Amino acid sequence: MIRIDCPYCGPRDEVEFAYRGDATVRRPSADAPADAFYDYVYTRRNPRGWHVEWWHHAAGCRQFLKVVRHTMTHEVRQVAPATTVVDVPSE
Amino acid sequence: MSAPEPVSPLARHLTAGRYGAPGDAPVYISERQCVLVQLFARKGRGDDVASAMQAGFDLQLPSPGNAASAGEITALWIQPDAWMLVAPRGSEGALAARIKAACGDAGSVVDQTHGRTVLHISGRRAAWVLAKLCRVDLHPSAFGPGRVAVTPVADLACVLHHSDAAPGFDLIVFSSYAVSFLESLTHAALETGYDVA
Ligand SMILES: [Zn+2]
Repeated sequence: MIRIDCPYCGPRDEVEFAYRGDATVRRPSADAPADAFYDYVYTRRNPRGWHVEWWHHAAGCRQFLKVVRHTMTHEVRQVAPATTVVDVPSE
Repeated sequence: MSAPEPVSPLARHLTAGRYGAPGDAPVYISERQCVLVQLFARKGRGDDVASAMQAGFDLQLPSPGNAASAGEITALWIQPDAWMLVAPRGSEGALAARIKAACGDAGSVVDQTHGRTVLHISGRRAAWVLAKLCRVDLHPSAFGPGRVAVTPVADLACVLHHSDAAPGFDLIVFSSYAVSFLESLTHAALETGYDVA
């Protein structure tokens, strides 16, 4: 189980959240080629290591959060409001 | 034209009596008849709503995870820039109308009196019983009187409010799930025994 320290609600169990995927993906501009949209929708790095991802606190404060999680150990290093710019740790 | 009086979904399910294990430390379960009004600040208008509620009701809206009261009204923080206001039953829609008048276009107001049901559990072992049903740390050092958590209780969406130091907790749930919720709550309370007034 993962415990996510919501910046609004405090530490909560993973079951209160909905996972919403990679938070580093950027929508291409409207006139970008189809390939760019294909990558935007489908192509993910799937790293073994640190990953910045969206978690929606669906059963709590209903906010979208950025979570920095290690995909192998599940360690959560940072949880921040959606508009916060977060860095991916190097190791 | 006035709306019909709220009908409790628990009317035929909460029968006065003593249930479950005998013993000297039962919990007490009851329904609270309240007016519930949800207040959302519109985008970027949180400060305007806060000052309107201060001016109109002498109520300082609470910070995340907390409750605040002024007179008969208690405000519970439910999410950023949104609060649930709880007050004793009065005439239908009157409180919502007063809040809307105070906040104007800075806030959106929804009367939830029919939509939600409030259960109250008290007694020395109330937190112990609730701990079977929810994942929030209910120890007084972490969740003392005046604290609020929006969190699933018995797997149902719930606003959990440590409403009195006795201790006692208000549990605000969707009315359509209230019977199922009560079933889980009373089942959890069989071990201590429970008393319905
Ligand atoms: Zn939250």
